[in-house]
Amino acid sequence: MTTALTQGLERIPDQIGYLVISEEGVLASAGELENDEHTAGVIMQMVRTACRFRLHGTAEPPFKRMSVMFEDYVYAVTISGQKVFVVKRQNNQREPVIV
Amino acid sequence: MGCCFSTGSNQDDSKKPLIPDPNLDRKPTNCSDRNADSLSSSRTNEQDLHAAIVQRTALNIIDVSAVISQGLEQHEYMDRARQYSTKVGVLNRTWSQKKPVPLPSLSSQPHQVLAADLVSNADVQQVSKIAAYAYSAISQIKVDAKEELVVQFAIP
Repeated sequence: MTTALTQGLERIPDQIGYLVISEEGVLASAGELENDEHTAGVIMQMVRTACRFRLHGTAEPPFKRMSVMFEDYVYAVTISGQKVFVVKRQNNQREPVIV
Repeated sequence: MGCCFSTGSNQDDSKKPLIPDPNLDRKPTNCSDRNADSLSSSRTNEQDLHAAIVQRTALNIIDVSAVISQGLEQHEYMDRARQYSTKVGVLNRTWSQKKPVPLPSLSSQPHQVLAADLVSNADVQQVSKIAAYAYSAISQIKVDAKEELVVQFAIP
């Protein structure tokens, strides 16, 4: 079961770590997120808050993926089948910054 | 209570209008008698109304500082304690039965969604700019006070 979950995550380009989290806790972790329960907790809180947003009149959350962007890396988060999937990816985009 | 008015009436106070119809016959009260000797009858009516309002308010006020505590007997105390903990128990059960909102499903293809292109820097900068504008706009919201908030009632 865990292999099915994590196989797809392993193959994500530029991934440097991932977490699979359920209501009960962390189901799987690897790379820079291995055993990182703290990050798991923070991301769970963030995604629960984000799921409460609604656009006018719609019943579902208005997004498929939540990205937490830092300068060099990104946490990409989604939910499927009562599990939260988090993948840490390198942010390789090198566009000039307009100040 | 500050007023020497004493009512022996058994009227149902909850149905009485707050300001009684001044056209009804009313016995002048002891309080207002003293004040009304040299006043016109309309002034007496006003005093009546005022006294009635004050008295109703006084009846409804529970002055906790004035209550002399009558000690509860042991069995009374135990009865009440049991009543309260039953009530609290019922409430606790209701609260703990509420399940937390289940996680919605955002996608049936989580790996695809996570592997898709990252948000571009241009998009991030645009959103940051929009957020900065919004913050600036909100911080400029202020109250423009035009009139006094508290005014004196002028009773002619």
